[in-house]
Amino acid sequence: MSLFGLLRCWWRAIVSRSHIDHDVKEEFQFYIDSYAEDLIRQGMEPAEAQRQARITLGRAETQNEKYRNAIGLRAFDELDADIRYGLRSLFKNPGFASVAVLSLALGIGATTAMFSLIYAVLIHPFPYADSDRIMNPVLIDEQNPQQYRWFAMYKPQFELFSHARSIESLLGFRNVNMEITGNELPEDVAAIYLTENADTFFGVRALLGRGIQPSDAQSSGQPIVVLNYKFWQRHFNGDPAVIGRTLQLDHANYTIAGVMPRSFAFNDMMGIGDVYLPRSLLRDTVNPPIRWPYTPWIKLKPNFTRAQANADLLPLVKQFAKENPHPYPKQFHLQLQPIVGPFEENSGHTLFLLLAAVLLLLAIGCANCSILLLARGEARQHELAVRSAIGASRWRIIRQLLIESLVVSFSGAALGAVASYWLARLPLKLSPNSFPAESVIRINLPVLAFSVGLALCSGILFGLVPALMLSRPDLARTMQTGLRRISGSSKRRRWNLLIAGQIALTLLLLATAGSAIGGFLRLMKTPLGYDPNNVMQAGIMLHWNNPNDWERIKSREDRAAFIDQVRQKIAAVPGVTSVAVSTGSSIPPYSGFEQPVEISGKGNDEERKARVHVVSPEFFATLKIPLLRGRVWDQTENQRGDFIAIVNESFANHYWTQEDPIGKQLRIPSFKSGGPLEASSPQSDDRREVIGVIGNLRNDGLDRPVEPAIYLPYTSYMPPFAQFVIRTQSEPLAYLHAVREAVRSVAADQQISNGAYDLREAIESDAQWRRQQLFSVLFGVFSGLALLLALAGLFSVVSWSVAEKTSEFGVRIALGASRSHILWVALRVATRSVMVGIAAGLIFDLFIQKLLSQWMNNSDLGSNGLAVATLLLVICAIIACLLPARRATSIHPVEALRYE
Amino acid sequence: MRALGELYFLLSLTGKEGVAYSPISNMRVRVLKPVDLPQGALEMLILKAVSLGPLHGYGILLRIQQISGERLEILQGSFYTAVYRLERNGWIEGEWGESENNRRAKFYRLTAPGKRQLKDETAKWSDMASVVASILRAKAEEP
Repeated sequence: MSLFGLLRCWWRAIVSRSHIDHDVKEEFQFYIDSYAEDLIRQGMEPAEAQRQARITLGRAETQNEKYRNAIGLRAFDELDADIRYGLRSLFKNPGFASVAVLSLALGIGATTAMFSLIYAVLIHPFPYADSDRIMNPVLIDEQNPQQYRWFAMYKPQFELFSHARSIESLLGFRNVNMEITGNELPEDVAAIYLTENADTFFGVRALLGRGIQPSDAQSSGQPIVVLNYKFWQRHFNGDPAVIGRTLQLDHANYTIAGVMPRSFAFNDMMGIGDVYLPRSLLRDTVNPPIRWPYTPWIKLKPNFTRAQANADLLPLVKQFAKENPHPYPKQFHLQLQPIVGPFEENSGHTLFLLLAAVLLLLAIGCANCSILLLARGEARQHELAVRSAIGASRWRIIRQLLIESLVVSFSGAALGAVASYWLARLPLKLSPNSFPAESVIRINLPVLAFSVGLALCSGILFGLVPALMLSRPDLARTMQTGLRRISGSSKRRRWNLLIAGQIALTLLLLATAGSAIGGFLRLMKTPLGYDPNNVMQAGIMLHWNNPNDWERIKSREDRAAFIDQVRQKIAAVPGVTSVAVSTGSSIPPYSGFEQPVEISGKGNDEERKARVHVVSPEFFATLKIPLLRGRVWDQTENQRGDFIAIVNESFANHYWTQEDPIGKQLRIPSFKSGGPLEASSPQSDDRREVIGVIGNLRNDGLDRPVEPAIYLPYTSYMPPFAQFVIRTQSEPLAYLHAVREAVRSVAADQQISNGAYDLREAIESDAQWRRQQLFSVLFGVFSGLALLLALAGLFSVVSWSVAEKTSEFGVRIALGASRSHILWVALRVATRSVMVGIAAGLIFDLFIQKLLSQWMNNSDLGSNGLAVATLLLVICAIIACLLPARRATSIHPVEALRYE
Repeated sequence: MRALGELYFLLSLTGKEGVAYSPISNMRVRVLKPVDLPQGALEMLILKAVSLGPLHGYGILLRIQQISGERLEILQGSFYTAVYRLERNGWIEGEWGESENNRRAKFYRLTAPGKRQLKDETAKWSDMASVVASILRAKAEEP
């Protein structure tokens, strides 16, 4: 027997079924006729012979079934019949079908969406080849193991590193700010210089043209540049004919050699590059004296573990530290981190929390389907009893019922899979900073397989218990149609369990949503300490790589004057209310350079740290920060830059509780210029006297306490960039163009860096804000859906039991029961299970509270959320039960008693 | 039951012998008890019957009865099921042709794999038969 022959036989029997049927019948008819002829030859009557033949041998019409049995298609035929029956019964019961399929579609769709999100973010977020072997080396400071530091290597160190035993290939990159010149207004771009093995390292094919290749190392002719997808869309409007055109960066011409695809967004760590350039173009310069270090990304050889690689590379890094101790911590060890690491930390918990929520939703949907099946099963008792009487084994009936539930679950899954495509994008839109920019949501094979598996599991889950229960019909009772059953069967217990479970899970989801929403509202109302409305922040990069420009702003006085001039020009723009220098503010609500500080009279045994900002005197007024004590410095003191400081309230309370902070002295020892690009005042690290105290402004996130902060005149320390806060009369970004013009009027091609932002928007796109928003929205949606499903379940249970007990109600009413009593009897079935469910939900919630608050970074979850959720649930449950129960009271006793 | 081309009804059967009666020929005959067919043997017999020349279904039945001397009881229900199974396995091959009285009938013939199967089965049967026979013949060993 060959497999091929068998399959061919089956194929013919399925595909050309009528032809085969006809053949089998004809053959058997011949068989019968031959026997009949023999009988006739023996002397029987023809009619009698035919009859005898048929008695002995059987009928030609039923031979088909025997044939299909014999060749092994019996299981297939039964499956086919069961599936058709399932589909037919779905169409015949549209009410049941729609509720069941929708419940499952919601559950399976949401779960598939979460899974595809997890797949895109955690399992396969980067489009690079072998991205699981790509590591980012970091230094862990022994004294401060929580923080890790990236490090960079100079060219000779880089070459040495790349020959290490555990490294398959080494990528080096450098982030630089450049500007597009040759246009009307200079535009800032983020450029990344990449080593020439970039193309093979990443393994990502360029969308147009080519990537950076080893041949670019020998720069002959015009240098090339490769564009990032988003930059190409933004600057060239996605023009496909961009290859070969020239782009002018920093007054030099580059030929555009390629465009990378959308999924390539290198890199999230240090900044996504708009353009990519070969490393050979980055030359060390003499004036200013710069040697370019590269940040490394390592692709490990396949058979090296991370621990082995750590050990292998550590001696090299220690050697580098000995040669150049400044950027390295005193004691450290090396740790290779996979590039997906930061996202795993931040969003891993988020995603799994969402997955758990969605699985709960699925469970509730399955419980709903179970309830509906049980309810429908009561109606099918007669049909199943007949099947059992004809000879169906219990297993056969169970199989049929299971296949019917699988039909429902697969229909739900089909609908859900389509919906999940859109659903999966929702978290990305709500909280884009939590996920790598390169993750792309796609319906791919693993996701589909997951969806199918889910459909299978949920179908069996909700179908099994009803199948087991219904497959044992009580033949005697059911077949006697004359028997009138006054009270319902004892299947009540199962319903109770399902209802209680649904209510408990719904309460859990509602409570979590309540706390998430509460947390978010609290976050929104946190006082910031300043007024961010109509304020924007813009920065300028000083041109240190242009020798002419650099000469003009190299010295401290020139630079201070330059910055002040820019400030005044911006202030002169119509619509601008006030401008201030505010270097050191990063994106709110975080800010300040963290530096160790020494306080006179307090001793140096503990390491004290504070956030330092260098600002102009208008800073406090521009942001409307209240001055609590003392005064702000004036222009002369601003020029001098030394000997004075202003602290915030947190600093004063922390170090000088009960004392008057004005007049106290402090020192920032590290606050002198470290490199050739920074300019600082002569005694910037000398003693400073506190002359004023200002109110706290949020500088460490929206809900963490305000860190101590110090504000100094900006002339005491000037890096090669400056930042300004600009308050305008209305929407600040609308004035950006005018501000650019103002800046350009000071220096011909001084550009504003691309990152100008509105403070209000920046706060709202803070990762924590976004994450809380994400949780609130999603949990709110999920719990709303869960509530709907649970209420649908309750509704159907109560209305079903009312319909079932109609005769009982008729008897009760005839005997004189009051309406409220009838209502109570009708509600009784659901009330107990709802109570149990709520109790179980509350207990469970109290257990999980701690875990949840940790994972959602939501300190002190209010218990208000729980109370509100419980109240909401109780009210809705009461309504859902009352509506069908009211029907019980309007039963006419005579009709009810005649009801069959 | 059929014997020698006629239809007989079994009147009594005790031990290995019995009496059968035919209403057509009004005859009573002594018959030997039909032997029950062990499992799997029917398929082998069908193969053997077909190996002697292509036959249609009824012809196979006749030939088996002929060869066995009417001593085999073939359950009608299982006969054609066995034929279908053999065809599915590829040991016999069916072809539509014309019967003796010019009627359309499906003729089966043995295929090459079928020939091999028949040889294997025959060998297995003989082996088994000789082993069982020798076991049954064995007398109690003298201690």
